[in-house]
Amino acid sequence: MVFARRISILFVTLLLAGLGGATLLRLAPGFSADERDLDSRLNAGSHEAFEAVRAGERNLGRFYLLYLSRLARGDLGTSRLFSRPVVELLRERLPLTMGTVLAGFAMAWTAGLALSAVSAMARNQALPFALGGFGSALLCVPSALMAVLFYRMDVPASAGVAAVIFPKVFFYSKRLFRASLAKPHVLTARAKGLGDVRVFIWHAVPPVAEELFSLAGVTLALGLSAAIPLEVILDLPGIGQLAWKAALGRDLSLLVSLTLLIGAFTLTANALADALAHATRGAGSNDDSR
Amino acid sequence: MSFQATSIRATRRAVLVAALCLGACFGQGGELRFSIRSDPKTFDPLLAEDDASETVRYLTGGTLIRIDRRTQKFIPELAESWQITAGGTKIAFKLRQGVLFSDGTPFSADDVAHTFRRVMDPNLHSPVGDSFRGGPGEIKTEVQGPARITVTFPAALAGVERLFDQLTIVSSRSPKKELATLGPFVLGEHKPGSYVLFRRNPNYWKKDAAGRRLPYLDSVRADIQQNLDLELLRFKRGEVQLIDTLDPELFDRLSADSPGEAKNAGASLESEMLWFNQVAAAPLPAYKKAWFRSKDFRRAVSSAINRGDLCRLAYKGHADPAAGPISGANRLWVNAKLTPHVFEPQAALARLQRGGFRLEAGTLRDPQGNVVEFSLATNSGNKSRARIAALIQQDLAKIGIRLNVVPLDFPSLIERMTRTYDYEACLLGLVNVDLDPNSQMNVWLSSAGNHQWNPKQKTPETPWEAEIDRLMLAQSSALDPKKRKAAFDRVQEIVWEEAPFLYLVNKHALAAVSRSVLNASPVALWPRLYWNPEYLQVANQMARTR
Repeated sequence: MVFARRISILFVTLLLAGLGGATLLRLAPGFSADERDLDSRLNAGSHEAFEAVRAGERNLGRFYLLYLSRLARGDLGTSRLFSRPVVELLRERLPLTMGTVLAGFAMAWTAGLALSAVSAMARNQALPFALGGFGSALLCVPSALMAVLFYRMDVPASAGVAAVIFPKVFFYSKRLFRASLAKPHVLTARAKGLGDVRVFIWHAVPPVAEELFSLAGVTLALGLSAAIPLEVILDLPGIGQLAWKAALGRDLSLLVSLTLLIGAFTLTANALADALAHATRGAGSNDDSR
Repeated sequence: MSFQATSIRATRRAVLVAALCLGACFGQGGELRFSIRSDPKTFDPLLAEDDASETVRYLTGGTLIRIDRRTQKFIPELAESWQITAGGTKIAFKLRQGVLFSDGTPFSADDVAHTFRRVMDPNLHSPVGDSFRGGPGEIKTEVQGPARITVTFPAALAGVERLFDQLTIVSSRSPKKELATLGPFVLGEHKPGSYVLFRRNPNYWKKDAAGRRLPYLDSVRADIQQNLDLELLRFKRGEVQLIDTLDPELFDRLSADSPGEAKNAGASLESEMLWFNQVAAAPLPAYKKAWFRSKDFRRAVSSAINRGDLCRLAYKGHADPAAGPISGANRLWVNAKLTPHVFEPQAALARLQRGGFRLEAGTLRDPQGNVVEFSLATNSGNKSRARIAALIQQDLAKIGIRLNVVPLDFPSLIERMTRTYDYEACLLGLVNVDLDPNSQMNVWLSSAGNHQWNPKQKTPETPWEAEIDRLMLAQSSALDPKKRKAAFDRVQEIVWEEAPFLYLVNKHALAAVSRSVLNASPVALWPRLYWNPEYLQVANQMARTR
């Protein structure tokens, strides 16, 4: 029952997100324009024919209903900008973006958790200070600038995604670990001579797992947002670049499809994180009862 | 009118001999790499309208006639010769024999007839087809044998040969349809968003002076790269060997680092221009419309702009002040008598004052006391254009005019220019790809949609626009080139005098050519660098492939 309710909420949220995206684009200035209007080779008949095609997108309600009915058949329409089926465009570009985001996500979490653990357990303050400074510097650098720097250094785009996610993971988990390590039972365990690593793994991590899973969902969505400027600047043919071009080109079918796709990705990531957090909470309460 | 190709053949032979000597050193093969800005929208050559699709068309397509990008003259390609008869309404071609499409299908007059049928299909909306469609009536083809065909137009179409430069012949019989090509390359692979790879056409008909089959290159790879800075970086790393268009800043950077690789081919066909909105129905106050419709106001603004500064500061010296609609790079059609409007702020102010404007405490007011202030819309993201706008703002401030620069994203700007007419003045660039004035009919005729300052007029609203209409229509059907030139010279003079467009600068054709590329010499016409793709060679790769 809870699962069904969640799925319905996810579905309605997606529909609203798609409609919201379509509305914003439809109301954006320049929606009715077409670069071909400036092509002096084309005659009036051709301009009228192009205009007739665009007219089909003017009535937003009609467009969205038609779009949803096509979506139900697996057809996402044709991109005005690329003159190709949207499904094909997504199929070609999705693997690159997903690869970039997931690799960046993995790098950021590995480095973030390891370094936050070291920082939380460190007895002198020099290392946490240095790592904190590094994390803050990454927070301050815009991802666009990072993209250019990485290109010059021949670093893959996934490192850019990692650089955006890393500070969030590092600072948040460090705070959680520190709070966890300051709990009385942990202090007692350390005082009794239990090793640092053992204390950390068995007593500092489990109580904060729920929060960490929630953060994972958020950072996955963050990684996808970071991929957009990175792909645009590095000219990477992923869905981030596609979204940018669709917005600039006022490509309604493509942009609505991308909104739905990115929305679905974000909601699914968060739902998965929630489910894992829920499972961890259950495991944690069992552990407490023991 | 019969085509005499002797001198062109001699020039070509000289190029071939040079290519042969160099070819002996560098051999055959290799891959040339350069960037295009986006994925081609289509691989159907008859539908190409964006730059990337036109690049595909140029590299793969075979045409009956080509415009030699250096001499700007017609040269025979798949047509050995041609003759225009019946008062300019017929063109008879004698075709080259023994030519094969890339898939081995033989080329014949039936393919030319098939191409015409396809391109003139009203439902195709082909830009090339529309260019041939000068007026009402059907274009007919008559095949008189495998190597002879006559095309009949409903009315005389002056300078019709130039249109054949864009008409790629498609096969009527090949199962590969438009992917069977007659040009030097065939489409090899397209990885969307990444690159388009072209492989040499094994059946290409051209041979060099030594009898070796062209093209020299094995393949051409067009990487899809939108970011110009990264493109230059990749050029310096040797990942691409040509950059077709460089902006002045990047050109100077490359010149400093590697002077021999930065190439300036002089004035291009591109110009920057400014115009005022003269549309009667535009949602602007009546007093502003009155300014914009006044020739004295437009000429005064033009005289207040220092074009020399625009060239020096916005283009770092890589531009020339523009005099009119045709750049000096278009040797056949430029009216050489015209000179750019002279920078004379005091004369500009005096001209305005004669019209009742007055300068009060540094602010110009019109005869009704309205402050003279207007906005200049332009597209965002173009650095040189943003600098031009800032410089014009400073120049006009000197005669008391307040200018507000409004950068807009391109779709918004197009919407204002073509639909809502909700703008006051606009700064944009004009690219003349075609040299012939007939390609500009949709700009100069007052009834046309691209008559930007006041489009789609039912009847000409001013006597000078009526005169331009008359002259453009006259030149479009006149067969005597001298009469055509005289008519179009007069159009340029009227435009200079009335200043509906204030032409500002003609940009230089700036490009980059790696030392490893042979036989590449930049020209003003598109494509600037790979206009002779069959003769290009890549030296370093030659060494590697040996």
